[in-house]
Amino acid sequence: MKLQHYIGGIEGLEPSSFEKKVFVQPWEERIFGIHVAMMGLSSHLEAVKSVPTKFNSFWTWGHLRQGAEGMNPFDYFKYRYYEKWLGGISGFFVESGYVTEEELSTKTEAYLVNLEAPLPSGGEPAIDAQIIEYLRVGDTPACDVEAQPKFKVGDTVTVRNPPPVDHCKLPGYLRTKKGVVDQVYEGTYNYYFPTGDGVGDPMPIYNVVFDSHDIWENITEPNTKIYVQIFEGYLEDPE
Amino acid sequence: MTENVDRETYSAARVRALESLLIEKGIITGETVDKVIDFFEKDMGPFNGARIVAKAWVDPEFKERLLADTPSAIAELSFPRGMAGAEGENMAAVANTPEVHNLIVCTMCSCYPWPVLGLPPYWFKDPTFRARAIREPRKVLKEFGLDIDESKEVKVWDTSAQIRWFVLPERPDGTEGWTEEQLAAIVTPESMQGAAKVAVPA
Repeated sequence: MKLQHYIGGIEGLEPSSFEKKVFVQPWEERIFGIHVAMMGLSSHLEAVKSVPTKFNSFWTWGHLRQGAEGMNPFDYFKYRYYEKWLGGISGFFVESGYVTEEELSTKTEAYLVNLEAPLPSGGEPAIDAQIIEYLRVGDTPACDVEAQPKFKVGDTVTVRNPPPVDHCKLPGYLRTKKGVVDQVYEGTYNYYFPTGDGVGDPMPIYNVVFDSHDIWENITEPNTKIYVQIFEGYLEDPE
Repeated sequence: MTENVDRETYSAARVRALESLLIEKGIITGETVDKVIDFFEKDMGPFNGARIVAKAWVDPEFKERLLADTPSAIAELSFPRGMAGAEGENMAAVANTPEVHNLIVCTMCSCYPWPVLGLPPYWFKDPTFRARAIREPRKVLKEFGLDIDESKEVKVWDTSAQIRWFVLPERPDGTEGWTEEQLAAIVTPESMQGAAKVAVPA
């Protein structure tokens, strides 16, 4: 198993923080902005083909998540949310050859001496225009491919238990559990890339409702329902 | 030198180094990150969700349309272009009622309906919240200051595929006759994730 896939339900934790800030350190918004830029300039977007950026990689939420799910699971919990982003994204730029670790270290040392030293200026305005346009248009997983859903509202379904892969869309606590189809979403949905455990190609998605006791028996609360959208590929075939 | 540097200072320098190199190499521009942040400060944030909630409170037919087909109901209102953009491609609203309390969580990561709520707060991304909210939602909500009796059903929505959920909270007593603008001003991001009720300022 991969611990990152099994966060839902972990016991023995401290009370939850109710910190309402989005960025708890000022630097965090910079890595957020860089990630959004990468998504908006990702090579799979048709509109990017005419944009004068030197970025020519496929980069999506799936890629960011794959990095986080590929971490040593104990390290995963040592770092804050945007610390993981910074590690994953800077690692990607080094591994892909856009920057070298040496360049990054040298610049980091320089900014450690003076954090207020200005950033370089300039660049092609068309790059920023595309990134903002991406934010306005989005990148929907809805597909024009038709498929006959295997299940209908009210059907009892069993969640599959596929072996762990680099990036998974199935919350671990649901594996092997039974739920009831509450809604069949219209159309089909793909994922940015095949995950290797049944998701990627266009397929129906269901909203499936679980009684919390069917998942956690008596270590949950009364009168509690859990709703999860599940790709058809994660459900056992009907009998 | 980096051996004895404070963790936050190091991250701040490292991300600045990365941004600086990406600008130099023509991947992004000197203004990219500021423009992205500006977009979420001005165009897409919880102020949009608050307006939607206020409208639903004063217009029962709009509320019905919002719950039946969230994107088209939102499209009726005048917002900046992009309400069906990034992380808003498939949004859906669920309503709190006297019988049902809804709580949104993304146990695997942090999916969030950007056009209506902006960016997710720290608590929503915290693995402790993600781990606990799905199994013991009332206990977590109590820590957040919200008591939900066991006689009320709790629905926890785990965002794991295409839908980005948000909650239509209950309109608080004492707001009769308020304008949409007055109502929108008291709707918080937390109330639109089911982590708090909307309160009337004393």
